[in-house]
Amino acid sequence: MIAVHIFWISAAMASGMAALFGVLLFRRWREEAKARKAGDVLAAITRSYLRRVAGQLDNEASPAWTVDQRLAVVSHIRLLLRGGERDRLMQMAELDGLLRATLRKSRSWRAARRVDTIRQLQQFGSEACIARLREIFTSDRVGAVRLEAAFALASIKALPPPRETIRILGMFQRKSTRLDSALLRSSAPHYVDQLNLLLADPLPHAKRALIIDALGWSEDPSVLPTLERASRTDNPELRSAALRAAAKLGHPSAAEWVIDLLSDPVAFVRIQAVNSCAALGLRDAIPDLHRLMEDQDIWVRLRSEQALDVLEYEWPSDGLKGLVA
Amino acid sequence: MNVSDLQTVATNLVLYLALACFLVVAARNAISVFQLIVAAWVFATRIRPGKNSVELWQRYGDLALPVSVIAPAFNEELSIVNSVKALLALEYPHHEVIVVNDGSKDDTLGTLIRDFDMEACNRTQIATLQKTAILGTWRSRRYPNLLVIDKENGRKADAANAGIGFARTPLVCVIDADSIIESDGLLRAAEPFMHDNGQLMAVGGTIRIANDCEIEGGSIRKIGVAKALVPRFQIVEYLRAFLSCRVANAHTNTLMLISGAFGMFRRDVLIEIGGYRHDTVGEDLELVVRIHRYMREQRRKYAIKFVPDVVCWTEAPANLAGLKGQRARWQQGALETLQRHRKMIFNPRYGRIGMIGMPQLILEDVIGPPSEIIGYFVVPAAILLGVLDPMMALAFLGLTVLFGTGLSLGSLALEEVQLRRTPNARDLSRIGEAALFENFGFRQVNLLYRLRGIRSFFRSDTRWEGVPRAGFGKPDL
Repeated sequence: MIAVHIFWISAAMASGMAALFGVLLFRRWREEAKARKAGDVLAAITRSYLRRVAGQLDNEASPAWTVDQRLAVVSHIRLLLRGGERDRLMQMAELDGLLRATLRKSRSWRAARRVDTIRQLQQFGSEACIARLREIFTSDRVGAVRLEAAFALASIKALPPPRETIRILGMFQRKSTRLDSALLRSSAPHYVDQLNLLLADPLPHAKRALIIDALGWSEDPSVLPTLERASRTDNPELRSAALRAAAKLGHPSAAEWVIDLLSDPVAFVRIQAVNSCAALGLRDAIPDLHRLMEDQDIWVRLRSEQALDVLEYEWPSDGLKGLVA
Repeated sequence: MNVSDLQTVATNLVLYLALACFLVVAARNAISVFQLIVAAWVFATRIRPGKNSVELWQRYGDLALPVSVIAPAFNEELSIVNSVKALLALEYPHHEVIVVNDGSKDDTLGTLIRDFDMEACNRTQIATLQKTAILGTWRSRRYPNLLVIDKENGRKADAANAGIGFARTPLVCVIDADSIIESDGLLRAAEPFMHDNGQLMAVGGTIRIANDCEIEGGSIRKIGVAKALVPRFQIVEYLRAFLSCRVANAHTNTLMLISGAFGMFRRDVLIEIGGYRHDTVGEDLELVVRIHRYMREQRRKYAIKFVPDVVCWTEAPANLAGLKGQRARWQQGALETLQRHRKMIFNPRYGRIGMIGMPQLILEDVIGPPSEIIGYFVVPAAILLGVLDPMMALAFLGLTVLFGTGLSLGSLALEEVQLRRTPNARDLSRIGEAALFENFGFRQVNLLYRLRGIRSFFRSDTRWEGVPRAGFGKPDL
């Protein structure tokens, strides 16, 4: 009796999967059969939007076009347009109710669906989208969704001040990741003052190093004295972060203290100093780099070799030299 | 003991053997169903990688950890230039390509030197993991991120170890010479390292079969589905292995294998554990098991992850002759790994790897294949002897053939819903056809090849049986 049951369970399982596969195959076949017609519709929607963006008369618009079709077209032509034309396109999309549909989807119970919607909201970039993205960023129950919203806000330069971002993502309550660093770096050009204020807080060195590192992405040479102060502290993580930031800023006035740190007692600070010398193109560091070729730490020796490659080797072009640096 | 007693003993033996085979096959199927369900859940709830992350990585490219792609090459004169160009063109902020010429007998090295304008250099080797001598290192004047290491012939493990020893980046990606990496494959595989807080040791990704795909300049130009049956059956096997088993195992933290065709590892961990072993034919499985063992013995928190996205394409054996060697080698490699790390089996000290991962390997690779083969003979024998209900034969057939077909179609459905890398409905139906027929003949032949691997294991056969491949066509001129 059990044997019969086993056979029928196996047969049912195989039949179920075969039926599912059959449905998927039929769906694919139907999509392909409709592809040509769908292509025509998408082309018509594209023409319609382009005419409207250019302010021309549009007689082609059809109420039969679905929201998904329109969204697909808007996502595609958004990449082809720039400046005012892109803004007008997104306005048209909002006027057509596409934003409303997207906002509705952003409340889906499925995290994956909400993330897809975040990506669409990022494309629209209007005030309503930013408001919804901030709402997701602050209150979504899934951490990965909040993080995605943070990156969407960062890419449209609408990330809240760093103190808020740090609090909402709980950055200082857990071990930091490279993504935390990316978010703080993306905040830096807009919130240099707030980042400086954060440094006045009583922070653990690892977290302070995150802030120092982010300052390098501020594109603001006024942070150099802060970096220099960090380079003189007792903590090697802070000194290393200051060197990374200086290398990113690319300002030659950091040369003196960067070269000084080639003699740092901690190996990973020396490594970072070597990298920074290469990135800043500090030829004055060449004698020190030759000395470091005899360093006791293999990684210092290797990075020095690499830095000398950048500073001394005759690469056919600056582009190639940049690749090595 | 008289003849009648002997007959009774023999009959009972056949009966118990038949029941044991039945139970083993049922257990394997139960695990496969569990894996399929877990994989479906993972796919349904996963956050798909979008364009934005790529844009973001381009913007903050310095955050993506630099990677060294290590490509061992042996007698690849005809295809090496295109392969290396494709590797250099991968979308990644900072990657270095390390080609290890493993004592090629043709002009692989000369071709590289000429085509990439290379000059001899004295690159320092950070760790000596290989057993053979390094003959020289070469760097390109045109491509600063290309390094060629010339060494005496060893095997892939030895060549990969040499490359790891020269790598200076925090991550290394070890590939096969004939692997075709997706243009954004490195980015996708490196993504988990972006979220990592220092515990992630290695990442694997889905590998697909490139037979009958259009290849140009070392990259996939148009995806195709193999016309020949043997590679098409393997497409189904790969879908089942990667989209179901590995996704589920990674989700339950019991991933035991990262394929040798593409694996991304933290360089420092590989060096700590001494790189790939040279004395096994299943070095990729052994490496991952050793990482688990090392980390657990050191009581360090760690993770090994898997990205379900397609990261790499590889050429599968085009006929049964090629398949025979490959499958025997895989089987032998699995047994060697199990023997070497037998201390971990059912050992609670190794957590779920010892209690779930290793026993699962035993079920899949030690007792599974012989049980199924023996079952095909002893179940009918037991019925003929009148000690087993004839319906049991039907049940056994159901468990092996029907269940297998269901699992294959389930994996194919996952692919269609989630990844959709099959070009069109016609190709999809051709893979579906292979999924239906795979269990009638191919599955059983495969089992025989695995028995051959078991025999090689017991003979301690250390020969490396090359897999004949058709190649990806003529090089571009």
